[in-house]
Amino acid sequence: MKSYAFLFWGYNVIWLGIVAYLTFLLVRIRQVSRRIARLESACSAESAAGRPAGASGRS
Amino acid sequence: MAAGDPVRRIARALPGCLLAATALAMPGALGLVFLYAPDEKVMGAVQRIFYFHVPAAMATFASVYVLLAGAAGYLWTREERWDRLARASTELGLLFCTLVLVTGPIWAKPAWGVWWTWEAKLTTTLILWLLLAASVLVRSYADSRELAARLGAVLGIVAALDVPIIYKAVDWWRGQHPQIFRPGSPAPLAPEMKHTLLVCLLVFALFYVLLLVLRIRLAALEDRVAALLERAGDPEVTAP
Repeated sequence: MKSYAFLFWGYNVIWLGIVAYLTFLLVRIRQVSRRIARLESACSAESAAGRPAGASGRS
Repeated sequence: MAAGDPVRRIARALPGCLLAATALAMPGALGLVFLYAPDEKVMGAVQRIFYFHVPAAMATFASVYVLLAGAAGYLWTREERWDRLARASTELGLLFCTLVLVTGPIWAKPAWGVWWTWEAKLTTTLILWLLLAASVLVRSYADSRELAARLGAVLGIVAALDVPIIYKAVDWWRGQHPQIFRPGSPAPLAPEMKHTLLVCLLVFALFYVLLLVLRIRLAALEDRVAALLERAGDPEVTAP
């Protein structure tokens, strides 16, 4: 029975570790993609207005 | 590359396909571990940690050798894509090495009666973990992206030198760690155990490729942000 407790914790550690890292990657990819979209729209808006990109600071 | 490019379409669909394949294969692997594989005679149920401890170790070694390829490629060509591969592999190596170092003691406590012993294989694996952790920290705190990539690459090459030492540690220093796979000798595993281990290796290989693809994609997006900020003249770009 004691062996099963060790086994239970062993498998939990593995799956929690992998799933936590997978979730972190997916969330971070979404965040960075949104940031790129914001930066690109800011850059293109500034280009359209004839100002150098970044003249209004970061988004 | 054109929007309808088949290579691009495959690259976009790859993470989803890998995730679906892993999600399907994982319950199968767990079923084999708990329902199909027999209990080991001496250690009993706790030996079943072996089915995920060994694949995690294999994934660590794979990560470190991919890291070596990325590091050597970057130092040779100074191209960003090699650094992205090295960055991704460093993190994955650290993740899988952490799993190895956590699951090992969970097995060792009931099998050896201690959580940890300064045995050669364990100690050299801990050194690998420290090297990978140092590489992640150096990349985070370096003054410039170029310096981060260079230092990370050098630490990656040093980490790769540790892998053969880990593999041969039991032969060279006669440690306590079980040696299941010896070159030239048949594996002392029952067929059910062998099948279970092979399926678990496949599941970890799928997980490894999935995480690598996602981490490289994230690194490419982070580089794109840095390029956009650079275009905007933002001082933040000097940070990695």
